[in-house]
Amino acid sequence: MSAALRLDGVGFSYGAVAALCDVSFDVAAGERVALLGRNGAGKTTLVRLVAGLLHPNAGTVWVGDWDTGGRAPEELARRVGSLFQHADQQLFARTVREDVSFGPRALGLPAHEVRRRTEEALEALALGGHATQHPYDLPPALRKLAALAGALALEPIVLVLDEPTAGLDRALRAQVADALREHAERGAALLVVTHDLAFAAETLDRGIVLDGGRLAYDEPLAALLTSAERLKPLGLVPPTVAALSVALDLPGRPVRERDAAHTLARVAGGGPGL
Amino acid sequence: MTPLALEEVTFWYPATETPALRDVALEVAAGEIVALVGKVGAGASTLLLVAADLAPRVTGGRLAGAVRRRARSGIVLPTPWTQLSGMAFTVWDEVAFGPANLGWPGHEIARHVDHALERLEIVSLAARDPVTLSGGELQRVIVAGLLAMDPDLMLLDEPTAELDPAGARSVWRLLRLLAGEGKAIVVATSELDAVPDVADQVVWLDDGAVRAIGTPQLLAEDAACDDGLGTTVARIWRAAGLAPPYPLTVADAVRRWP
Ligand SMILES: Nc1ncnc2c1ncn2[C@@H]1O[C@H](COP(=O)(O)OP(=O)(O)OP(=O)(O)O)[C@@H](O)[C@H]1O
Ligand SMILES: [Mg+2]
Repeated sequence: MSAALRLDGVGFSYGAVAALCDVSFDVAAGERVALLGRNGAGKTTLVRLVAGLLHPNAGTVWVGDWDTGGRAPEELARRVGSLFQHADQQLFARTVREDVSFGPRALGLPAHEVRRRTEEALEALALGGHATQHPYDLPPALRKLAALAGALALEPIVLVLDEPTAGLDRALRAQVADALREHAERGAALLVVTHDLAFAAETLDRGIVLDGGRLAYDEPLAALLTSAERLKPLGLVPPTVAALSVALDLPGRPVRERDAAHTLARVAGGGPGL
Repeated sequence: MTPLALEEVTFWYPATETPALRDVALEVAAGEIVALVGKVGAGASTLLLVAADLAPRVTGGRLAGAVRRRARSGIVLPTPWTQLSGMAFTVWDEVAFGPANLGWPGHEIARHVDHALERLEIVSLAARDPVTLSGGELQRVIVAGLLAMDPDLMLLDEPTAELDPAGARSVWRLLRLLAGEGKAIVVATSELDAVPDVADQVVWLDDGAVRAIGTPQLLAEDAACDDGLGTTVARIWRAAGLAPPYPLTVADAVRRWP
């Protein structure tokens, strides 16, 4: 099967600032990939390329069999749902519901289908109670969630998300994680930029790390997150669960909370666990 | 003299009937870091706006109770990209914008700006146009701008949201350093695992009201865990069926582990 998303030798410069250099990787349908790296590593630039807001100076970004180079963002929205780091700039309707339905309407879907997708996305992110509010009356973290709902409602083959959990509490993070897993199960390819490595560990499987615009690692996330010495030069630090696994020498080095609790219970010969 | 005291503060945003803060009492001493925790919408951001004299003065709305501020304060908003002055074409000038408005002599401004850029590890960005920065680079610039004004009371809303994990750590360390220099600091954060090593006091906000105030140990209690506010280590310990009191951090866990 061909990849849902393919970067082939991609380079991009903002004038004199080289942001990406010779980046290549594939993401298959249903795959859940974290895109990690220090501030300024090039993550958001890559998101902009996939969403068609920028076009590469070198190489090609493929979404399915489309070369994004020749396509406008509106056209790419048929295949790519995106969430930008500063999602404020992504909302413009008078209510959250109207905003979420904008994408499906722009795709020209019939009214009942627009309604289904809108309500499903609102519910998936626990935004039902805010549906009639003006996006700007919401706290920034919920505004971002509203923009994410808009991306989900496109039901695209590629979801490319820039910091979806910034400022969210634990319950909402879990809600986002569930929603993303579900879309992946239905076949969406996920590429998620995040500094929230705990969220990444819980939700995603594969880690791609950028460093100075170049691809530094592309491997299973669990192995990467337990390796403090490899993360350090990349501006990354193992998240708490991974650090705990290593510090207590837990067998299998779990990186997800539930797995760590089970392992801990087993090793301690303790209670029934979760 | 405490830099900040809130006495029975209740606050309503314009055209709302339910208050966003209810009967909140809080004192912040010089040299102290207070962490505000709670669910989204619990009132942490509003409390910071009130403390910064932005609510109701700028936001509108209505406040009951009293806010006593005996210090020069500065705030970092949760949306740093909305906080650029729009008047500066370089990062250096952006960071200098606040101090310049304080009417300081040029050499004092320069000293504070250079020091702030160093502390946020962004000296190399000094000549860049702020509107072209990455998210985390920009957040560092906004925090540097606050630092450069040398306020006695620092108010920060999710100051590490866009920072890489190493950068977040160094900002948390920096806040401890600043508290050591005598600053009073109030910080709202969803990064609960950072709180134990940073905060002297934790204020748990729930639906606009203070549910509990205490040491970070609060974040290892069952009630906090039930509400999604336990630290990761405390939650894992509890989920594993191990006995309380739960360890708060990895270091605590190691100490407990046979
Ligand atoms: N419009 C622009 N003009 C010039 N340089 C830019 C522009 N946008 C980004 N850059 C630079 O390109 C590099 C990559 O930026 P990018 O926004 O992709 O980083 P990032 O990995 O998303 O970082 P962060 O974690 O801070 O969000 C950085 O050095 C940044 O300063
Ligand atoms: Mg970015």
